[in-house]
Amino acid sequence: MIMIEVQNLMVFFENALALNDFSMKIEEGEIVGVIGSNSAGKTTLMNTLSGLIIDMRTKEKRKGGERITIYGKIIYRGEDISEMSPSDRVKKGIVLSRERHPVFHESSVLENLKIAGYLRKQSEIREGIEYACRLFPALVALKGRKAGFLSGGEQQMLAIGMSLVVRPKLLLLDEPLLGLSPMMQKMLVEAICRLKDEFGTTVLVTEQFARPVLPIIDRGYVIENGMLTLAGTGRELMDNPEIKAAYFGI
Amino acid sequence: MEDTPEMLLGTIVYAVINSVILIMMSIGFNLTFGISGISNFAYGALYIFAAFTTYMLLQMVGLPYPVAVLISIVLTAAIGALMYRFILMRVRGQVLSEVIATFGIGLAILEFFRYLGFVGVEYALPVFIDDSFMIGDVFVDAQRLIIVAASIVIVGLLWLFVHFTSLGLAFRGIAQDERTALTFGMDSDWIATMSVSLGAALAAIAATIIIPLGTISVSQGYDVLINALAVSIIGGLGSTGGVIVASLVVGFAQRFTDTYIGSHWTMIVSLAAILIVLVIKPSGIYGKQKELEERI
Ligand SMILES: Nc1ncnc2c1ncn2[C@@H]1O[C@H](COP(=O)(O)OP(=O)(O)OP(=O)(O)O)[C@@H](O)[C@H]1O
Ligand SMILES: [Mg+2]
Repeated sequence: MIMIEVQNLMVFFENALALNDFSMKIEEGEIVGVIGSNSAGKTTLMNTLSGLIIDMRTKEKRKGGERITIYGKIIYRGEDISEMSPSDRVKKGIVLSRERHPVFHESSVLENLKIAGYLRKQSEIREGIEYACRLFPALVALKGRKAGFLSGGEQQMLAIGMSLVVRPKLLLLDEPLLGLSPMMQKMLVEAICRLKDEFGTTVLVTEQFARPVLPIIDRGYVIENGMLTLAGTGRELMDNPEIKAAYFGI
Repeated sequence: MEDTPEMLLGTIVYAVINSVILIMMSIGFNLTFGISGISNFAYGALYIFAAFTTYMLLQMVGLPYPVAVLISIVLTAAIGALMYRFILMRVRGQVLSEVIATFGIGLAILEFFRYLGFVGVEYALPVFIDDSFMIGDVFVDAQRLIIVAASIVIVGLLWLFVHFTSLGLAFRGIAQDERTALTFGMDSDWIATMSVSLGAALAAIAATIIIPLGTISVSQGYDVLINALAVSIIGGLGSTGGVIVASLVVGFAQRFTDTYIGSHWTMIVSLAAILIVLVIKPSGIYGKQKELEERI
């Protein structure tokens, strides 16, 4: 069953086109990857799916700042959510973990997890925290530590842990592997698989390099300059010589 | 005049009280700024609005004192919320417009009271308990002790609120990184509404406990705003720890100047404190460059 469908998405920042006629779909329970190099439009896509762009558009308008224009449709479980606010989308289960491991630097790890549980009841937050700690046991020992003092990898674990407290149905991970060691990357990739297997969470993950994520994704999309250039199953993409040349790094 | 140990003790006691009053006068202004980046220049007007409202409910309607106080705190908080919803929200992010809008609202409120003829010494609120105590050889009235005790309770409750309630934690989240906070389902306009409203409520609470020391006058509205600004700037806008430290610095400086140099120097000393801080550390004592322990 189709969970979310993106139809002919176009996003302009003033006159610059960040996403150009982009379409994709995700089935329930899939892990889908979006591969693209710097400024390909990955974050713009994630912000549009999570609704952050709607908030950015409103704020820019009030400030008299940049004009953001969005065309196209996003259909989530049969409902058009294109103009829905980010908070309503979170309530529907669409949760984004932003790029560059965003955590609240001055709060402790535990407090970060609690802040993330804003929409949840006390008991659910407690469960969510346990769940996050089960997926990332390293967080347990760090609970009292200020998030600003964590390493990049630890912050990334925390950032994903925070998204889990919200109980996503569709988890959007924007470059979760950026700047991490190969070992850490491997650990996170395994965690993403466990999310799918144990909890049935659907995951959309973006990456600059194809190597670490291609083996685990069901399907992938390759995006260049805001345009879809290639789509296929993980296997198909792995065997594609162009992908090998462009996204397997050195 | 001889310097005596009694005089020193008296000065210290009153300096502490003065500092606590400054904390109460600025904590709400600073909290709103810390959470949503909004400078509420109607803050002093809200303080006076709360005082006059309590006065009217008490003297004209004849409600019991605690009921009058409660209603006026709730009304002031509501005005804060409405101010955000109907005016601030539309200019959010344009700092100058925010300042002009809130200052305009403040002017309107204050000058409206003046226009209605709310001027004179009869506009005052009764002290809570009419009594006084001796601390060593220093004579202190009950109201001032109540101010100190109430302030400790309020700061404590505020701390518990931001660390252990869902809304309070959302405040901490939004204050640190708004866009990330949105990804957890927070609504930035709702949180901003609440932050202005809570700031307004704190102005009302401050008025409730401080006003009984004197009378209610329109000009105090401007004084409160200036004090709130001064303390917040010295402390580093948005930091509660900064407000407390800055209030102590300014509060002690004022009292000691008053006693040992002369009361006409008091204002100069406060202004000098602002200038010195701005020159040495423009972001304030607990300003952003420092690793912020607590911004709210
Ligand atoms: N707020 C903005 N204002 C103007 N242009 C923007 C804005 N955000 C993104 N862009 C532009 O849109 C394009 C896509 O950017 P986006 O951040 O989506 O890329 P990305 O694939 O996430 O890149 P990276 O791998 O560097 O994170 C870029 O050309 C970028 O400059
Ligand atoms: Mg990006």
